[in-house]
Amino acid sequence: MNQGSSLKRYAITRLALVVPMVFILLTLVFLLMRVAPGNPVSASLGGHAPPSVIKAISHQLGYDKPVYVQYGHYLGQIIRGNFGTTISDRRSVGSIILVNGAATLELTFFAMIVAVFVGMLIGLLSGRYRDSPLDTGGRLFGIVVYATPVFFLGLLAQLIFGVWLGWLPISDQASPITQALLQTHTNIFFLDAIIDGNWSALWDITQHLILPATTLGIVYGGVFIRLIRVNVIRTMKEDYIEAARARGIKERSVVYHHAFRNALVPVITVVGLQLALLLGGAILTETTFNWPGLGHELYIYLQNRDYAAVQGIVVVFALVVVAASIVIDFANAFIDPRVRY
Amino acid sequence: MATAAVRLQRRTVGIRRALAPIAEARGMARTMLWTGVGMTLVFVLLAIFAPLLSPYGFDQYTSGGHRFAQLAHPSHAHLFGTTVQSTDVLSRIVWGAQTELEVVGLALAFGLVVGVPLGLIAGYFGGPFDRGTVLFMDAMFAFPPLLLAIVIAFLLGGSVNSGVLVAAIAITITYIPQYFRVVRNHVISVREEPYVEAARALGAKPFTILRRYVFFNVVQNVPVIATLNAADAVLTLTALGFLGYGVQPTQGAEWGYDVSRAVSDAASGIWWTGLFPGLAIVLLVTGLTLLGEGLNETINPVLRRRSIRQVDFAAPSMDAGAELLEA
Amino acid sequence: MHLRPRLRYLVVLGLAGLVLAAVGVTAAQSKPLAANHSTASTILDGTTDTVTNVDPAGNYDYGSGTVDILIYQHLLDLNAGSTIPAPSLATGCKANASVTVWTCTLRKGVKFSNGDPFTSTDVKWSFDRVNKIHDPSGIWGLISNLKSVTTSGPYSVSFHLSTAQSTWPYILATGAGEIVDHKVYPATKLVANTDVKDLVGTGPYTLSKFTPGQQAVFAPNPNYAGENGKLANGGLIITYYSKSSTMKLDLQKGTIDMAFRDFTPTEYTALGKTSGVTLYKGKGVGIRYLVLNVKRAPTNKLAVRKAIAYLFPRQDIATRVYHGQVQPLYSMPPAGLPGHTNAFGELYGMAPNAAKAKAVLAAGHIKTPVPLTVWWTPSHYGDASADEYTEIQRSLNASGLFKVTLKSAEWATYSKTLGTQYGAFQLGWFPDYPDAEDYITPFYGTKSNFTSNGYSNAKMDAIIKNEEGAKTLAQRLTYIKQAQVIAAQDAPIIPYWQNSMLVVGRSNIHNMKKTIDLDYLMRFWLLSKS
Repeated sequence: MNQGSSLKRYAITRLALVVPMVFILLTLVFLLMRVAPGNPVSASLGGHAPPSVIKAISHQLGYDKPVYVQYGHYLGQIIRGNFGTTISDRRSVGSIILVNGAATLELTFFAMIVAVFVGMLIGLLSGRYRDSPLDTGGRLFGIVVYATPVFFLGLLAQLIFGVWLGWLPISDQASPITQALLQTHTNIFFLDAIIDGNWSALWDITQHLILPATTLGIVYGGVFIRLIRVNVIRTMKEDYIEAARARGIKERSVVYHHAFRNALVPVITVVGLQLALLLGGAILTETTFNWPGLGHELYIYLQNRDYAAVQGIVVVFALVVVAASIVIDFANAFIDPRVRY
Repeated sequence: MATAAVRLQRRTVGIRRALAPIAEARGMARTMLWTGVGMTLVFVLLAIFAPLLSPYGFDQYTSGGHRFAQLAHPSHAHLFGTTVQSTDVLSRIVWGAQTELEVVGLALAFGLVVGVPLGLIAGYFGGPFDRGTVLFMDAMFAFPPLLLAIVIAFLLGGSVNSGVLVAAIAITITYIPQYFRVVRNHVISVREEPYVEAARALGAKPFTILRRYVFFNVVQNVPVIATLNAADAVLTLTALGFLGYGVQPTQGAEWGYDVSRAVSDAASGIWWTGLFPGLAIVLLVTGLTLLGEGLNETINPVLRRRSIRQVDFAAPSMDAGAELLEA
Repeated sequence: MHLRPRLRYLVVLGLAGLVLAAVGVTAAQSKPLAANHSTASTILDGTTDTVTNVDPAGNYDYGSGTVDILIYQHLLDLNAGSTIPAPSLATGCKANASVTVWTCTLRKGVKFSNGDPFTSTDVKWSFDRVNKIHDPSGIWGLISNLKSVTTSGPYSVSFHLSTAQSTWPYILATGAGEIVDHKVYPATKLVANTDVKDLVGTGPYTLSKFTPGQQAVFAPNPNYAGENGKLANGGLIITYYSKSSTMKLDLQKGTIDMAFRDFTPTEYTALGKTSGVTLYKGKGVGIRYLVLNVKRAPTNKLAVRKAIAYLFPRQDIATRVYHGQVQPLYSMPPAGLPGHTNAFGELYGMAPNAAKAKAVLAAGHIKTPVPLTVWWTPSHYGDASADEYTEIQRSLNASGLFKVTLKSAEWATYSKTLGTQYGAFQLGWFPDYPDAEDYITPFYGTKSNFTSNGYSNAKMDAIIKNEEGAKTLAQRLTYIKQAQVIAAQDAPIIPYWQNSMLVVGRSNIHNMKKTIDLDYLMRFWLLSKS
């Protein structure tokens, strides 16, 4: 009973804090974009149209209004769930998030699987056999992999597996024909192919996923290695592990059933925290592999100085991270009552 | 009776206490620490002595009236070959070390100067200022760091002329919330320690307490975060360079930019323009990470392995140190 | 271990949430290719261009234009091998005596891809739309001289202009003159790129699927009558790339059959040597030039501008930076267009001349080295811009007469600033229509000059006015030539190269040479695939 009500109180406090935070976020995004020099009209017409024309269109689109008027308008739109329309190609930011967000979700999901798998395997072993050559090798791998920029690793992977060996496609979500023929339901190509039972497309899509997902996953696996290893070491020192040992439970069982399992709990937290990093890394991975995700779009819209698009995408990025952190906090509070405050 | 000598002594004790674990480090932590120091030192030396060590200038394309070949294979005259602009790849790497360290050094300095005092004040005094700053910093934290850096670099690129400064500021802004968070949380736990309570009871002024008791305790953590952040900062800087923001090609050599220019070379079988700058990034970041990890392991008691486990009253829960690695 | 079931519960919940989220995002439905669509003869093209709007009223960029000429036709079209607009949807157009009214007779029996008949209503509708929508990225600026469009019967249409314009037929052949179906296109709103079934035209293809930033899928238009040449393939897919390096690898791997626009010079050179792919090259009409501000020091002094003109390293840029993929250019209108002269070459010599530059500075009593800040922009004109401007800096400095500082700004800032703050700056130009006039008026007319470099010359203005009202081509060309001579004497702009039309195709793509000409149009329908 008591537990339930404290969870509820925690939930309310946590959610109440979200409101001012999101507000601050939205304001930051707005200010960042508006302080910037140049505007989208000059970016698309500059070097082609006389200044008077550029001025007239800026007026038509309201870019010459006072900043506070634009700010009010911007907040009003977002509260109504309207993230705006891009200026350069008239797409609703909502549809960008659906279409390109799906591509990012697909990439991030598989990258996360790779990261967690690599991280768990090496991290658990490293922590278990601390200071053994296995540990040294595992840690070194983790560090070097973390130290390698995604774009450099991606480039190497493209050259080796795509060009040299010719095993895998090096860009895009699917080959042109597959993509042209694929019926879109969810925009996550992997799921779309499964829904339609289109196995040749699924094979093609899987092949396209391998390089980007592995590249991104391995780099972030480095972070997991470090974290899981530390957790295993810490857990192995805990009293209940000692107690389990004292009770005569076999070492193997102690390690697998107690130490590892508990060492993995904090990983949930980190998966959430890493989301921000992963999304950041996705910008680089997506540009390297021409993967049409949000990061890739952001890069292009940033170059076109498309306020509306950049604003919308950045807001979404930030909201996703905020949402993830809430979910993670709840998950933690749910699992471990000590966390609640 | 708190004479200057006593104060000095107290301070050196503090420093010695902070440094003690490093001397006591053993096994892998020791190896990591010193390998990291060695690797980082190499790049620092490269950066400092670039004018002496580099065979040519970073944008030099002729020597003795002779124009360098474009995209020339590695050879005697150009150990790592030349780029599409006829510049020497090796020279660009040496000068690049200077750019990287300059930016990272500036970024860390800015971050510390802004983040640490804010964290100290917010953590110690609490109240609305604390709540407000925490909320603001949390909001900043919600941005993927690279995204924030890109937007800032893009913004400043138009008005600030020095690419180094632009990049440094862009990177700093992503780290301030981190320093702030770690320092503030640490201060909160230290604030309630008996010796701080005692000082307060004796009527010491808040800023005296902050300076004398809290600061030294908290600052122990900073080198670990700083080195690990330095590693991260190099990655952010090169990512900015790769995407075409930050240090512009006419202003200095930057490895990330060089890799981005080399992408088109690589697909055409020209490997030397991309491989070497890429490796330079990997080595520098590895060095800094080893240094940071080694430091973390020697300072962090949970991970520390020492012959005798000493009881350290002054050390607050060092979990903050471990947590910052996780964050 | 009471944590276990809870943890498992959470994991299951999380996964379920992910799947739900994924299935939940059912976005804009898009039709796949028709079942009868033959993939074997479908051409797979790659490009780094982007598409703003497919709707002709909402674009003024090359990437959108490339898509539009596949879907739409004009009253007059630029057919392969000729730069003179030729009858297409119209059988002919004639001007009145004062060259202010152009009347066109329309072709009968033409149908849109949805079966709607094509009439004069559609023509009026299309032109009126462009002006009414007045889209920020639209092409309406090109028809600002158009007062009104009137129809007389279903097959005759008249364009009433504010001032005389002898080049109106060229305007009809641009994106501003693409004819849309009045029954489908709203009068005051653009059709969204993804509403492919509403993007109806009379051209060789219909758009069957459009994924922004990724892919455009074209199927043959069953109602296309072949006015601009028969359709030689079974369809087309354009894949959009953000980086040319990935496009190059895909081309080498055979993921795409061909690529049009744009690789880096190094990549073009490498592709030219790669077996299995062919680099096709023809003269292009895109040019690059350096604008000199006549109001700001030091380029406000004619002697300084002349000295730069004497020193300009055109050949070095062409060979060293662009590996011969561009040609040195000695006047604004590129070589190949009627009316082009080597004005700068005749006045300043074809090769850099340091002695003459020194003399002209000395005669102007200008202290050397002259400090000069030159602006350029990093990504908008390709990565090679960095190399191009390094080359310019090196050779101006090497003369000892200048001390050049390079400064760069991102395009968004750069394009807004130009002559308002920059003294010397890089720009590029791609014509709206392949005629020399489009290389003179926007740069040298006091009112029409968009570079803000402060150039104004009454003599030049008079020549431009005469040219616009000229009745015959020969007359027009005389004025064009006079303008180029003055442009070289005053040197407010230094043109330095013209590009090539470069297309790379794998060996299974044929007839590429048919579409490579000064029109700089990729007529995909002429290509065949084996």
